[in-house]
Amino acid sequence: MADDPKTAELRGAARALGLDRLTDEHLGQFERAMAAMQRHLQRLPRDLPPAQEPAMIFCAMAAFE
Amino acid sequence: MSDPAFLGLAEAAELIRAKKLSPVEYAQALFARIERRDAAYNCFIALTPERALKSARDAETEIMAGRWRGPLHGIPYALKDIIDVAGLPTTAHSKILADNVAQQDAPAAARMVAAGGVLLGKLATHEFAIGGPSFDLPWPPARNPWNRNCIPGGSTSGGAAGLAAGFFPATLGSDTGGSIRNPASFCGITGMKPTYGRVSRRGVVPLAFSLDHVGPLTRNVRDNALLLQVIAGHDPQDPASADRPVPDYAADLDRGVKGLKVGVIRHFYAQDLKRGAPEQVAAIETAVTMLADRGARISEIALPPLADFNACGQVILAAEAYSVHEAWLKERPQDYGARGRERLLAGATLRVADYLRATRWRRTLCEAAAAAFKDIDVAITATSVDPACRFDDTATLAAIYGRQVLMPFNVTGQPALSVPAGFSKDGLPLSVQFVGHPFAEATVYRVAQAYEAASGWADRHPPDLAV
Repeated sequence: MADDPKTAELRGAARALGLDRLTDEHLGQFERAMAAMQRHLQRLPRDLPPAQEPAMIFCAMAAFE
Repeated sequence: MSDPAFLGLAEAAELIRAKKLSPVEYAQALFARIERRDAAYNCFIALTPERALKSARDAETEIMAGRWRGPLHGIPYALKDIIDVAGLPTTAHSKILADNVAQQDAPAAARMVAAGGVLLGKLATHEFAIGGPSFDLPWPPARNPWNRNCIPGGSTSGGAAGLAAGFFPATLGSDTGGSIRNPASFCGITGMKPTYGRVSRRGVVPLAFSLDHVGPLTRNVRDNALLLQVIAGHDPQDPASADRPVPDYAADLDRGVKGLKVGVIRHFYAQDLKRGAPEQVAAIETAVTMLADRGARISEIALPPLADFNACGQVILAAEAYSVHEAWLKERPQDYGARGRERLLAGATLRVADYLRATRWRRTLCEAAAAAFKDIDVAITATSVDPACRFDDTATLAAIYGRQVLMPFNVTGQPALSVPAGFSKDGLPLSVQFVGHPFAEATVYRVAQAYEAASGWADRHPPDLAV
């Protein structure tokens, strides 16, 4: 039986990410997970100064010490 | 020997040092208690009696010969089953790692062995320290000793529940977004998330590299300080490990709070989180008053909104966790529990730019926290604004992990300690959280000790388990 359009869309999105073994139940979880993450992403600022560095930075010497 | 179930680490250590308590009899008594009672609480995934009794016999022999190693010598403890112990499975409470046997001790575990501790076994956790409570995993979820129909919190679920049940006096957990402090709060015990880098994370199944912390859980503040003393220190093979001296965490415990500057982060529990349990809010305000009465200088401080820390932390957590789990989620999605799978799939669609935006914002949030802490020694705030809920209260359960004041200090890396602060009208533990400057755990313990001594809450045990 063919997927309903929403499930087909989710399955396509999951497959595009290499998640092609997710069952219908897993796809429901995938959808809820994405929705929850979208709420967090919407809160991230979009006006950070261009030169502002990430909190975690690469240190060239670290592996040599 | 009287029942040693609720002996504290420090108390037991003194008895062992004085040769009034046999480590062998102590371990045997706790195994008998676990055998009798753990079926109701599911704290343990695996027991290690042969190993434990050998360690206990060795400790007893050494101590009788006058070679006492320190406060952990001969003391029983257990470990969250994400921490490697050579020769034992590390399952992370997941089918994914059901056959994973550790090749060497995690440094934190090795320090417990070197200090003469007696490992009783490995403990239940939320799957991979994120997915729980779940009934669809190879082992059942731990239950709350104050009411076994309630969740114990997580992810260090078995550790907090086992302490409250009197199964052991010390355990180690991990905290990526509150996984030490939340179960400490719900089970009425004491849990410290130390400064990021204070305790090695090597040999501990990672959840999110830049947010993961390992820390001690005990039934009181003094024990917690003694246990952190054992596990703190530099590990050159953990890239985040801090190469800084480890102070004596117990040295100033009883100095009181007179003159110390305590900042109340009230907006987290009174404004940012709505409709917290009134008794929980009252418990925090009572704690503030107790500290003021003992000479602390109280002020109110403000950090960025709790939701900012949560959003930043959750994006970082999701991205880093997905990088750990991507291959398993692609190959074996059916081998995760539903809660763990859903939480971990959250990172699948994140863009690199989103992750980096969160890490860049993290710097801003850390700077804001540093500014807020500039004129205080320690902050006080909520751990959770609600007591534990029932497993079958699905609506509350879905929301309760979002109603915590935990992620801010994973984002900033500051030390944060949850301690008991009384009980709800239903007899469930309440809590308060103390937060310090980076690497100032000793000051956090000092303030918490003053509060604990004044309040007396750490001496309470679940009525059904009191003997």
